[in-house]
Amino acid sequence: MSQQVHTSSREAPGLCRRTFLQMAGAMALGAGATLALPRRAPAALRGTKLHHLQWSSFVAPADDEMRRMARDFQKATGVEVTIETINMNDLQARISTAIESGTGPDVVQMFWNWPQLYGPNLVDVDDLAEEISRRDGAYYAQLVDSCKVGGRWKAVPFCFVGNAIVYREDLFQQAGITRFPDTWDAYLEAGRKLKAMGYPIGQAFGHSLGDPPSFAYPLLWSYGGKEVDASGKVVLNSKETLEAVKFCMAFYKEALDEGGLAWDDTSNNRAYFAETISATLNGVSIYFVAKQKFPHLAKVSNHAPNPAGPAGRYHMHLTQEHAIMKYSPNVEAAKEWIRFVMQRDNFTRWMEVQEGYSLGPTPYWENIEMWEKDPKLDPYRRLAQYSRVFGYEGPPNAKAQEVFAKYIIVDMFARAIQSGDAQGAIAWAESELKKVYEA
Amino acid sequence: MAVRQRGWKKFFGFYLPLLGFTVFTLFPFYWMFITSIKPDQHLYNLRISPFWTTRPTLEHYQFLFQRTLFGHWLLNTLLVAVVSTAISLFCGILAGYALARLRFRWAGTLGTAIFITYLVPQTLLFIPLTGVVDFFHLLDTPWALIFTYPTFLIPFCTWLLMGYFKAIPRELEEYARIDGATRLQAMRKIVLPVAIPGILSAGIFAFTLSWNEFLYALVFLSSPQTKTIPVGVVSELMRGDVLFWGPLMAGALLGSVPVALIYSFFVEHYVAGLTGAVKG
Amino acid sequence: MAKQTLPESQVGVVSYPREVAAARPWSLAALRRRLATWLEDERVLFVLLVAPTLLILVAFLAIPFFWGVWLSVSDKVVGRPGAFVGLQNFFTILDSSIFRRTVQNTFVYTGIATIFKLVLGMALALLLNRHFRFNRLLRASMLLPWIVPTVLSTLAWLWIFDATYSVLNWILREIGLARLLWQLGIAPSPRGFVWLGTPGLAMGSVIAVNVWRGFPFFAITLLAGLQTIDPELHEAAEIDGAGGWARFWYITLPLLRPILTVVLLFSIIVTFADFQLVYVLTRGGPHNSTHLFATLAYQVGVISGKLGQGAAISLFMFPVLLLAVILQLRYIRRET
Repeated sequence: MSQQVHTSSREAPGLCRRTFLQMAGAMALGAGATLALPRRAPAALRGTKLHHLQWSSFVAPADDEMRRMARDFQKATGVEVTIETINMNDLQARISTAIESGTGPDVVQMFWNWPQLYGPNLVDVDDLAEEISRRDGAYYAQLVDSCKVGGRWKAVPFCFVGNAIVYREDLFQQAGITRFPDTWDAYLEAGRKLKAMGYPIGQAFGHSLGDPPSFAYPLLWSYGGKEVDASGKVVLNSKETLEAVKFCMAFYKEALDEGGLAWDDTSNNRAYFAETISATLNGVSIYFVAKQKFPHLAKVSNHAPNPAGPAGRYHMHLTQEHAIMKYSPNVEAAKEWIRFVMQRDNFTRWMEVQEGYSLGPTPYWENIEMWEKDPKLDPYRRLAQYSRVFGYEGPPNAKAQEVFAKYIIVDMFARAIQSGDAQGAIAWAESELKKVYEA
Repeated sequence: MAVRQRGWKKFFGFYLPLLGFTVFTLFPFYWMFITSIKPDQHLYNLRISPFWTTRPTLEHYQFLFQRTLFGHWLLNTLLVAVVSTAISLFCGILAGYALARLRFRWAGTLGTAIFITYLVPQTLLFIPLTGVVDFFHLLDTPWALIFTYPTFLIPFCTWLLMGYFKAIPRELEEYARIDGATRLQAMRKIVLPVAIPGILSAGIFAFTLSWNEFLYALVFLSSPQTKTIPVGVVSELMRGDVLFWGPLMAGALLGSVPVALIYSFFVEHYVAGLTGAVKG
Repeated sequence: MAKQTLPESQVGVVSYPREVAAARPWSLAALRRRLATWLEDERVLFVLLVAPTLLILVAFLAIPFFWGVWLSVSDKVVGRPGAFVGLQNFFTILDSSIFRRTVQNTFVYTGIATIFKLVLGMALALLLNRHFRFNRLLRASMLLPWIVPTVLSTLAWLWIFDATYSVLNWILREIGLARLLWQLGIAPSPRGFVWLGTPGLAMGSVIAVNVWRGFPFFAITLLAGLQTIDPELHEAAEIDGAGGWARFWYITLPLLRPILTVVLLFSIIVTFADFQLVYVLTRGGPHNSTHLFATLAYQVGVISGKLGQGAAISLFMFPVLLLAVILQLRYIRRET
């Protein structure tokens, strides 16, 4: 029923089967005889049913495109894939119950470093992850840290949901800024002028999984602050962290919209459309919606990467991976399905309908034709290289996920802003970190 | 009690507070309504008054019915609410009658035990509960909810009806017994008809709670067409950092209409039913 | 009695000749007769009547509950077997400043919200108890907040409290109050308040929504109670010269006490365990100033996967609540 409702008008079914067969052939050739690629046995898989659980994408056509792939996959292999989409915030409740009761979806979309958390309950997918990497090149660092648990691939990297600063060129020009600031200090300087004009910069600091951490972590890193060092020792309380927090306090006071402490992921989108802010760190969703509903805003908007700090330029994008649950009786079909989704033609189309919202898992996707269409999205193209996952640069594990879920880093900044006591906020965060890491 | 005050005293003592309550209670509904008929461009425009719109539109309602499975969700929610309410009433009537009327050594303890099930926190127990539901092969069917909702409906129904049954004079029942009726017959033919307002109010209470439930519905159901209104609406219309305010509010309004209708029919009975419970 | 059993015994014919059936002590007719006398035994009937309730409660509540208790004394993490660790989880959470904050929040939230629900509910009940036009319509519409799916009505409130589009701020701005409050240093900006972003205000907002949702239930239940009070009592008191307040205090309130205690008890328990409201509005933010037991348990148990600790958080208050409820129920029972 859902498939009927969500039917996309952009179908070209004939093409898909052909390209599928071509791809299959090409992959077998490219892989060569040395590769122990499992021989495809569609006959054995025929009739299998797969349940695929994922978020409701910010960009609805992306979900339609997944359903299109599911239909084509069924035509090609006889495997029926049901795509279930739910609100991103509710995914973990479903995953936990599925694992504990040993029943549920076969393929689950994971976010960030969830494979570290659920690793023992996921099927090893070394063969598939490496096969794709041989075709498209090495995965970006954040995906490797997220998906590789104890040396094994527990999930197949899927994509980045990139975030960049979307800003109003017209307002920046009015403030006399012709080039987007390249350092945090210059950005603060620009923000002062913009706020004086009545157009502050927008940034969320609430308890929300997207925007607040996407800002807080990279800011910390770009000043050289870290939760833990490479050995896993808590090193948050440092000169570098203090610098980052102090910058943030000044930034909030002099350049940001005061509403930010309450904002969640959705707030800056609305503020941008209400034309009360001049810039904000966000996914392409703002630009995407603006193009459809607020074309005058889209025309004067542009994108830029995060400014750099003394220790470099960082981002923390949302990453997505596909994992196969251990309890699933359909592991082979599930692998086949993920392989199908990651095929170049399918993945390209999926990226295209999102117009830059998602970035590919390897540098190969930086150069596909899609990026030529809209020069305003060009900054997104190469954003994935700056991205790290929380817990950087400690060894990847589930503890950083707990710190993240408790919003300790976000709250450190929010506390400092609210209390004016940078040292106190850091000390609080450090003690909470120690409880997690040294437990 | 008739209103006996006059003039300004009546105004400040009666009409003004009543107006205050009405505004406080109903404003969010007005807000839902106005949001649901505004075009997006107006929704996000701070310069125009947010209280009305010059360009009302039904596009959000259309979206709800054409691009989501709202109709299915509505029917599912209705089915689940009706059946789980029926089960809860059945159990509640029997247990309430037994606890109120029959002499049994452990009756008091059992009544307390049934009440304290309310203390069991739901937020984490959905995980083990999933195991139980799966054991009975109920996952992804409406039965998963139909059998689990009574766990939080029965206790209230039982307690409400207990109070009500206690209020019904024992003599009524005893006359029937002298005429040769069995206990069960007396209960069915004498006690239950008198208790109908109480049963109605317990039923409405149970119906409302099952209509609202979110967590179990989220966890136990996976096919898009089996979901209930709260879960379906949230899953399809909250897309990360884009909330579809228009359809969300349209869904909220349409999601409360059926219950509101039932209430307006039964509210007098409901009050009467609770009255019975109070006497007990 | 015999007439009634006849059709049943005919069913028996299908498998046994009638005479044989009658001769056997376990024939359907005999069984039925024995059942009838058996059912006259109060203890048997009691067990039979509470059986369906117990069946459902044991299968779908008791089993998960004991599993939950076990979790709280184990180091269980999602997908991995847990081991018994005694009260370790409870010590760990007590050591967390977030948890201690949560305890405080929950008590503040429950306490203030309950007081408001009680007072407003009582006031509304007294108003609705009078006779006036549209009385019935008003009674029905006052219940609306209680019947909309919580998640959805809370979303409407999220929209009302929105940092940019808050209609409350819009009103403050239109009547010129926002600027004044800003100049007085009360509001953070001339655009109004950041409802969900300032710790005190956020808690206030969350409580307001809870009250909005919960007080109609108080009102309608208390209204039911008011209607049982004999108007003659009031009239007699009035003749004796008792004012409105005195009549309320000495007649209405004492008579309402039984239902008041039950409703209060239910409300406190449900408020104490509230989840959806905070989950939708703030997720515990800003910096944990609105976390409640349930939202924190969800965050620790589900999002971080530490089921043991999550269970410990959600069961932390269980013994205290249990004791309170048992004492309260005993008190109610003695009263009636």
